[in-house]
Amino acid sequence: MMDKKMLNSNLPMINTGSEHGQSKFAGLHLLVRAVKKFSPIGKAALVVAAIIVMMGIFAEHLSLFSNNLPSGYALEAPGKSHWLGTDDLGIDLWAQICYGARVSLMVGWGTALLAGVGGSLIGVVSGYAGGTVDKVIMRLTDLIIVLPELPMMIVLGAFFGPSLKNVILVLALFSWTEPARIVRSKILSIKQEHYVRAAKSYGAGVWHLIRVHFLPSLLPLVLVSMIRLMGRAIVAEAGLAFLGLGDPLSKSWGLILNHAINFKGIYFTEFWKWWVVSPITAISLMVVSIAFIGRELEKLVNSKM
Amino acid sequence: MTFLLIITLNFMIPRLMPGDPFTFLSAEEEGQVFISYSQEQIDKYKAYYGLDKPLPVQYGHYLVNLCRGDIGYSIYYNVSVLEMIGKRLLWTVGIVLGAILISTVAGTMMGGGSAWYRDSLLDKLLYFLMITISEIPAFLVGILLLFILAGQFGWFPLFGGMSSFAQYDTSLERVKDILHHAFLPVLTLSLTRVGGFYLLSRNSMLEVLAKDYMRTARAKGLARVRIIFRHALKNALLPVITRVFLSLGAMFGGAVLVENVFSYPGLGRLMREAVMLRDYVLIQGIFLFVAVLVLSMNLLADTVYKKLDPRVNYYDG
Repeated sequence: MMDKKMLNSNLPMINTGSEHGQSKFAGLHLLVRAVKKFSPIGKAALVVAAIIVMMGIFAEHLSLFSNNLPSGYALEAPGKSHWLGTDDLGIDLWAQICYGARVSLMVGWGTALLAGVGGSLIGVVSGYAGGTVDKVIMRLTDLIIVLPELPMMIVLGAFFGPSLKNVILVLALFSWTEPARIVRSKILSIKQEHYVRAAKSYGAGVWHLIRVHFLPSLLPLVLVSMIRLMGRAIVAEAGLAFLGLGDPLSKSWGLILNHAINFKGIYFTEFWKWWVVSPITAISLMVVSIAFIGRELEKLVNSKM
Repeated sequence: MTFLLIITLNFMIPRLMPGDPFTFLSAEEEGQVFISYSQEQIDKYKAYYGLDKPLPVQYGHYLVNLCRGDIGYSIYYNVSVLEMIGKRLLWTVGIVLGAILISTVAGTMMGGGSAWYRDSLLDKLLYFLMITISEIPAFLVGILLLFILAGQFGWFPLFGGMSSFAQYDTSLERVKDILHHAFLPVLTLSLTRVGGFYLLSRNSMLEVLAKDYMRTARAKGLARVRIIFRHALKNALLPVITRVFLSLGAMFGGAVLVENVFSYPGLGRLMREAVMLRDYVLIQGIFLFVAVLVLSMNLLADTVYKKLDPRVNYYDG
């Protein structure tokens, strides 16, 4: 009896199996509600991020010129036809920035998705299984957290070879620990809840538990963590590319910078005003807006918990 | 345990990298005179550096030498790795320590002030500014500073740790020159760190200010300065101090990028050069060095924290 009462009191948070069809809809609805609760700064960040995403998606349509063929004189100042000017090969910078957005978003999403899903799975295993498995996994995360990230990434990046896929893999390799830890500690606390114990006593399997009981309370936490990871991945990719260790074929923002700064004598010219400033602005806007969105979501999630 | 894993990782990674120090030399940049090796020479050098032996044997040698404190000679520069690290280390440590000092002091002061005048316009403005600054990656800030302050206005040198070929009349002038060169890297590193310290000290200060003993102190009619410094700040600083040690590790990572922006002659720049040249021994040495440094800093953070806050020990049982 007692247990049943407890079960009921915990129910509103959880989608039971029969409501599963609706829950997707409810998720979208929740998202809209969440956005409405954003502070003005959060909303502004959302708009900026959305614009950059659009730039990435519609890069072909937004830019009049190609991003890897010369379309004007070299080092043209920003003007009517070349909005952000051109680089030393006469390639339109606005086009490069648009396509660069695509690369950054791919790296960001790829890493966040890979590390988020992988890390969560590891976290679930670690928290649910406990014992030796848990200990080994936690030791591993300890180790990865302590490793100096950037030097390690430089070494690993060189080892994997600098393709975009490998950059994402390396970044994910370093980022899965955060979602894993968050998920583990959450699982540890949920595992003790009465409703989970009750479900188990009814004979619920692991997958059923994960899908019905764990997932709803884990999802917001993991999503927030993934947004953080996305921002960090974009920064890391830009850093690697800036050092000349990124994918030389993907025209990312970091690579534009690397190219510009290696242009001899650029310090003594005017070129940096468009050639260097535009990728820097793009990266900064992207990263800062992601950070603010992450912060707002975090606030919402924490207040709900 | 952790150390051994890092050593092993450190040993394996460079060996799995594509390319080797011999093929590289004939592959880069035109217009330079490069030396290519004959097969005979390659074999000889491989034998000399032990690269021809099977991996486990190489690993054994590596461990033994490591225990002797010998991390080998750079393949490319032909100089002891330890010596090379030693030469570059001081530069990196210098800017990192400088940046830590500045960002901690500035961050704590602003954080404390922000917490004291909570919800005022100043507080909100600082909060927004600090979050924004702390999110922008260090090397971007560095590039902008470099172009504007050094390139456009010429206030600071464009690269290096000190003027090349300069003759100094007094040691004071030498110090001045070095400080002049270090200013921008230090500023960059501190700018990106100050936000973290600000948020931390603001939170911690807010927590302390809400405590009962603060009300007591005020009720006793103590002077404001005394309340702030003796009662509030002293307690609020605890997490900040641990953070200082913890962020030393992250700082070394950040310094890699910043040093490359300013062509500063520190470890980070050496590391990039080593990767570009595929100089196994050098990469290993630097990486090992940085890893051990960061690990010891984390350990130190733990110890210091326990010393400062005995309650931690108590809870640990």
